[in-house]
Amino acid sequence: QDRTITGTVTGKDDGQPLPGVTVVIKGTRVGTQTGSNGKYSLSVPSGPATLEFSYLGYASQSITVTTTNVINVSLASDLRDLAEVVVTANSIKRDRRSLGYAAPTISSDVLVQGGSPSPLTALVGRVAGMNISSSSNTPGSSTRIVFRGGSSIAGNNQALIVIDGVPVDNSSVTGGADSRSSVDFGNRANDIDPDDIESITPLLGPAAAALYGSRASNGAVQITTKSGKKGKTQVTFNTSNIFSSVLKLPDFQNEYGQGYYTELDDNGNPTEYFNDTQENWSWGAPFTGEMQEWGQSIDGVRQSKPYSAATNNVKNFFKTGFATDNNLNFSGGTDKSTFYLALNTLNSNGIFPGKQDVYNKYGVRFNGKTDFSDKFSAGVSFNYNKIDARQIAGGQNDNSVFDNVLQTPRDIHVDQLGDLTNKYNGFGYTDANGVVHNDKYGYYGSYTLNPYYIIENFVNDDVINRVTGNVNLEYKPVSWLNIQERIGTDTYAERRRQLTPKFSFSPIDKNTNQGNHISNGGYQIDQFNVTELVHDLMVTATHSFNEDFKGSLMVGNNIRQRNTSTNRTATNASAGLVVPDWYNLQNSNGPLNVITDNISKRRLVGLYADLNLSYKNMLFLEGTARNDWSSTLPVKNNSFFYPSVSGSFVFSELIAPNKILSYGKLRASVAKVGNDTDPYQLLNTFARGTINGNFGSTIFPFGNVAALQAGTTLGNANLKPEITTAYEVGTELSFLDNRLGVDFTYYQNKSKNQILAIPIPNSSGYGFSVINAGEVQNKGIELSLKGTPIRTQDVNVELFGTFYKNTNKVVDLAPGVDQIVLGGVGGMSIVAAKGRPYGEFYAVTNQTDAQGRTIVDAESGLPLATTSAQYLGSYNPKYQASFGTSITIKQHLNVNVLFDVKHGNKLYSRTKDILAFVGVSAETGGQRSGLPFPNSVYLDDNGNSVVNTNVFYNKQDYYPDLNPGMNVIDGSFVKMRSAGISYSFNKAQLKTLPFSTLSVGLFGNNLFVWTAKENKYVDPEVNSGGATNEQGFDFTAQPSVRNYGFNVKVTF
Amino acid sequence: CKKFLDVNENPNNPDSAAPNLLLPASQAAIGQVVGNAFQVYGNIWGQYWTQNPTSSQYRTIDQYNPAATAFDRPWLVLYRNALINADLIIKSNAPNLEYTKGIAYLMKAYAFQVTTDAFGDVPVKEALQGNAFPAPKYDAQSVVYDSIFNYIDRGMALVSGSSPLSPGAQDILFQGNMDNWKAFANTLKLKAYLRLAYVDAGKAEAGIKALYATKPTFLTIDASIKYLSTGGNENPLHNEMIALSRTQNIVASSTAVGAFDANNDPRVAKFYDLLPTSVENKTERSILQGTYNGNTGKTVSPPSPLVGGRANNSASATAPVKFISAAESYFLQAEAVARGWTNGTGAVATLYAQGIQASFTATGAGDATTYIATAPAGAAALVGNTEAQIKAIITQKYFAMCGFQGFEAWTEWRRTGYPTFFVQSAASTIGAGRMPLRMAYPSTEATSNASFPGSVPVYTPVWWDKKHQ
Repeated sequence: QDRTITGTVTGKDDGQPLPGVTVVIKGTRVGTQTGSNGKYSLSVPSGPATLEFSYLGYASQSITVTTTNVINVSLASDLRDLAEVVVTANSIKRDRRSLGYAAPTISSDVLVQGGSPSPLTALVGRVAGMNISSSSNTPGSSTRIVFRGGSSIAGNNQALIVIDGVPVDNSSVTGGADSRSSVDFGNRANDIDPDDIESITPLLGPAAAALYGSRASNGAVQITTKSGKKGKTQVTFNTSNIFSSVLKLPDFQNEYGQGYYTELDDNGNPTEYFNDTQENWSWGAPFTGEMQEWGQSIDGVRQSKPYSAATNNVKNFFKTGFATDNNLNFSGGTDKSTFYLALNTLNSNGIFPGKQDVYNKYGVRFNGKTDFSDKFSAGVSFNYNKIDARQIAGGQNDNSVFDNVLQTPRDIHVDQLGDLTNKYNGFGYTDANGVVHNDKYGYYGSYTLNPYYIIENFVNDDVINRVTGNVNLEYKPVSWLNIQERIGTDTYAERRRQLTPKFSFSPIDKNTNQGNHISNGGYQIDQFNVTELVHDLMVTATHSFNEDFKGSLMVGNNIRQRNTSTNRTATNASAGLVVPDWYNLQNSNGPLNVITDNISKRRLVGLYADLNLSYKNMLFLEGTARNDWSSTLPVKNNSFFYPSVSGSFVFSELIAPNKILSYGKLRASVAKVGNDTDPYQLLNTFARGTINGNFGSTIFPFGNVAALQAGTTLGNANLKPEITTAYEVGTELSFLDNRLGVDFTYYQNKSKNQILAIPIPNSSGYGFSVINAGEVQNKGIELSLKGTPIRTQDVNVELFGTFYKNTNKVVDLAPGVDQIVLGGVGGMSIVAAKGRPYGEFYAVTNQTDAQGRTIVDAESGLPLATTSAQYLGSYNPKYQASFGTSITIKQHLNVNVLFDVKHGNKLYSRTKDILAFVGVSAETGGQRSGLPFPNSVYLDDNGNSVVNTNVFYNKQDYYPDLNPGMNVIDGSFVKMRSAGISYSFNKAQLKTLPFSTLSVGLFGNNLFVWTAKENKYVDPEVNSGGATNEQGFDFTAQPSVRNYGFNVKVTF
Repeated sequence: CKKFLDVNENPNNPDSAAPNLLLPASQAAIGQVVGNAFQVYGNIWGQYWTQNPTSSQYRTIDQYNPAATAFDRPWLVLYRNALINADLIIKSNAPNLEYTKGIAYLMKAYAFQVTTDAFGDVPVKEALQGNAFPAPKYDAQSVVYDSIFNYIDRGMALVSGSSPLSPGAQDILFQGNMDNWKAFANTLKLKAYLRLAYVDAGKAEAGIKALYATKPTFLTIDASIKYLSTGGNENPLHNEMIALSRTQNIVASSTAVGAFDANNDPRVAKFYDLLPTSVENKTERSILQGTYNGNTGKTVSPPSPLVGGRANNSASATAPVKFISAAESYFLQAEAVARGWTNGTGAVATLYAQGIQASFTATGAGDATTYIATAPAGAAALVGNTEAQIKAIITQKYFAMCGFQGFEAWTEWRRTGYPTFFVQSAASTIGAGRMPLRMAYPSTEATSNASFPGSVPVYTPVWWDKKHQ
């Protein structure tokens, strides 16, 4: 005889009813789900029975039915259990045990722990196999994310970013003319608010991402946003208030001030110095501490100050930045529908003085889903962002604030020159008679501008409006068949404005040979529009052949289209503005400079199939196949097919339950991924006549004469698709009742037939030729460990760590091509060189002998330069690791900290170079003459090394002109990536308050950095190349910041 | 599906170009090289200019130690702008383009001569053919010169013929005036043969005699591009200076200024900007070649806007770039006559005086009669044997080319050894007695051309240079 059992299921943490909990009679398929009030009712046959309560994110419970007909259950949350369900490619939810590839998952609470507004930066140190570079770590700055080394020589190496199954754009277009005058406007993947994210699953290898096709040959970051839960509407408000300060500044010398030596004695020691007051050089006399006049003589008067070190002048120039990040969301649902609505704002004013480095982001997200019937459901996801930012340029030009600050002589208090109305600081001057001179300046420097003046007058604005979203329809005509249609879009318009003032200032002081400051000014508008449309139709059939053997087959169709338009237009490149301060293209002095006017369209059609077989919940096999047709390839080669196979074996199923091994799985996969290319690579084209000199250009029309010229790159009508092949084996092990977990992967990727524009000799008449060539190999291991040494009712201590080592090699380029330049500056290239790791620095450097001693000239004592450029190491780390802990006490108090390490990566630092040039870095201090170059030798007539003890050099003759290779330094570091402490109140504690939950916390990210000994200059993560392949490139990049703040989260 | 994917036609750039649109790009490219990079090298190595002590851009030029990448850009502009566009015109199938093709041949000849005079052996036969020859072989300079004569002949035949279509204003040198192009072709041919006078006198003599047998016309006006004050259309050197924040990197060298002064030459005030009277003092106007280190803080005369050399004076924008000047044309003829290779046509003294007068006219220095009569380097120098006369002619050509044609003046010094008053730059790093005699191959060729013959030091003479062996 059946009887009816009823009850309520609640969450242990907050006592709230849990809707949607599955209740099954163990050993049968009979079951039900709790309703929106957490109540269930189930008819149970007589006899012994056990009810199993399971719910995503909570530990399952089994309760034996006794005589009572009411069984109330309180489920404890269990995030480990949540991770058992993994959102894989195409947003398909899968049981973790069935996956034949690594697909770790990071949940929302971990993501927001460090308070980072960037969802990508928040992933650092969480998963092995990812190399994330976070540049300046300010809101809106670039983050680059590369899985397993990156395999493309010249193309994109970043993982595909996917939100709710729909790939989104992750463009990163560095502002400014190039990375030497870069303005970091960030990359688009950082637009999403981490507060809206439910979980992130990095699909590290091509096997995991195979269904996304060619774009995911570098893996994919699968982001799942929050959705509403059935039940009472919850209102959550979360506010984070973040302070920021410079993480690392260079070490300075504090012994010498403005000027340079002019006379040397016979021993090479300076006997006379010239305190040239217009100088940016600190190669002057040793400090005396005596009062000394400095700067210009204005109205007959010069200022005085002690001739001593302004020790903290650079540090004090920067201010504490402040950002407030707020998210208000409503979520809930009925039996049939759920919704999640979030509003968020992020308002930041960065570390530069004034309000010229601001980043404001506003967002709205709505996710909703409705079941129209048992068979038919529909969901919609919508996100709108508006970004309104103003950024400050790095690099070497007039507009680079940091560059001008760093070139301040050690005795000048640059931090006290902020009052631009002060005649000694400013540009433009009112004389004693009240007459205004807009063509005079009083600032001390001829070679630098007052950085406060730059901040006020050189402007880089950025406005972005972006909509992403998708519509999702699901139809289940019969229980074994599921038809799903998803249409997604990502569309944005970005408009940047770059303002360069026009001025012509001569010094107020007539009695100096101080130089003029002249700028023709300029105004540039960059307009980017990107629209992506993605359609997927997936038909899935499932079948149980018998109790043990089950299978499913999905076939699908994918169509995507990407339209872009780029329009970069400026006032005349040479003559600039007509009228100062009027920033409008109408104010161009001469023809407009059309830098780029480009539209593109590409389309891709794919058909795919995904077959899954499982045996006894123990053996799993998955096979995928995909064929793409791409518009960007020649018609005859535009179809390409690629399969993948993966399997997993949960061998612990064969072992009797024991205390040692709780879970054990082996997995393996093989995958191929094809890839197409950019549009319009097939034909030779012509361009407007533009003859570029080293710096200037002759630009047509010439008067009224128009011209075309042969293009730079030879097209190729015979291109074939690129092919990446990937192998992966791994294991997941869990010991001691899940208190110790190990996840290990070995992988090997090979990317061949890459589509490259290889350099060809200019004497051929062209610069580049598009061909299929090259091979890049990556091999590596990924290891994650997780342990819970203490797990009691009151205290839970979790330790985790990752280790990731990738060995990258450019196996082959094109015949006759030894390397391809990825970036760099004159004299220093970042290259992909045959037989070497990707991203190798290549530059002339100091000669050394076999023992590593510097070879100096026997006469001058100065180091000799190598006769050709040398390979100096790659920007890719040799290994990465992380270590963290999370301690929870009485489920209320959580303390967490995370460290991460990158080791063996190199860094080019122009910050080092400019500091050496002007003589302010620590290495330029100490004794400046009368000593031999450290650890040096010179060569005797037979070419043998002679230890140098007697040939002295003078630092002023060496440091201002370093060989570029001397600025390639060890970029290894250890960082305290994040730390936090939070306290959550539960309902019981909040009885008298209108909140159901309340948590408060302190957090920080990018908190401390320990760098390699030779890096006394910068945070090695800063980068001038944004998220491009030009990495490890500090071209006086913006300093990175540490962030720390407090957070309050309440739920009503 | 096929139609759906047929969206790969480039909407941004045309895949064909009318030859008359390519012509000005080729011409402007030569203007960019001769008028900017080679102008700076030529004027510094030709000792008209030297590095300003208060700046640093061109120190390596005075050091005779150009960076490995120093010639990447001019080489690129020569092959990828000047030569390829001329070559695409020549290969075009479009009808009625005889004149345009003729000019293209002459531009190709001119650009190859500049290229080989700068670098010595350079790719010609396998050059400009894209993927057909991905590693173009380097041809011996004598072979390059044979090609140059061939291109001039073909160009001459086309510009002398008839065609229904004139390039008109698309020809930014002569606006489609074919008489001028015929004179250009003859003058260029004379110039090219004279370059071989010391290395292969027989060939030079035969070629010039054959040329004179055609009763050739020679240039009596400058073959030049006249630049505009519009941004992007300025004189390339001045445009470069604007891009370098108007820093005055070049100033007067005592080598040239001293020689002008020794002849009391009024042109010196035209080629250089005089300093304000408070510091005007002839010894102060210039500094010895390459002495930027010893003159820290000293104010030195910059080149004048007339030659495009004044960073802060916008009048520099309209300075012309001279491919061949009228004065040069007369001096070339004078040398041919002096060598007795003109079948008796022309008188040395007349042509010599015409050359000097053309230079005075071009600089606005007025009538040259007094100068010719009184200056030691004037008529008085045009005496003695052939070589002595050539010394006088080339020295006067040197004066005429100051600031305007630095590359050609330095090249003629390499060919003839005149003028004889050059000194070694004080900043030289290449060893005592050595002078820069060629430009170094660009690093881009070394790294991308499998047929690259290897680097050659700047003090190694080119094939036609017999005076510095």
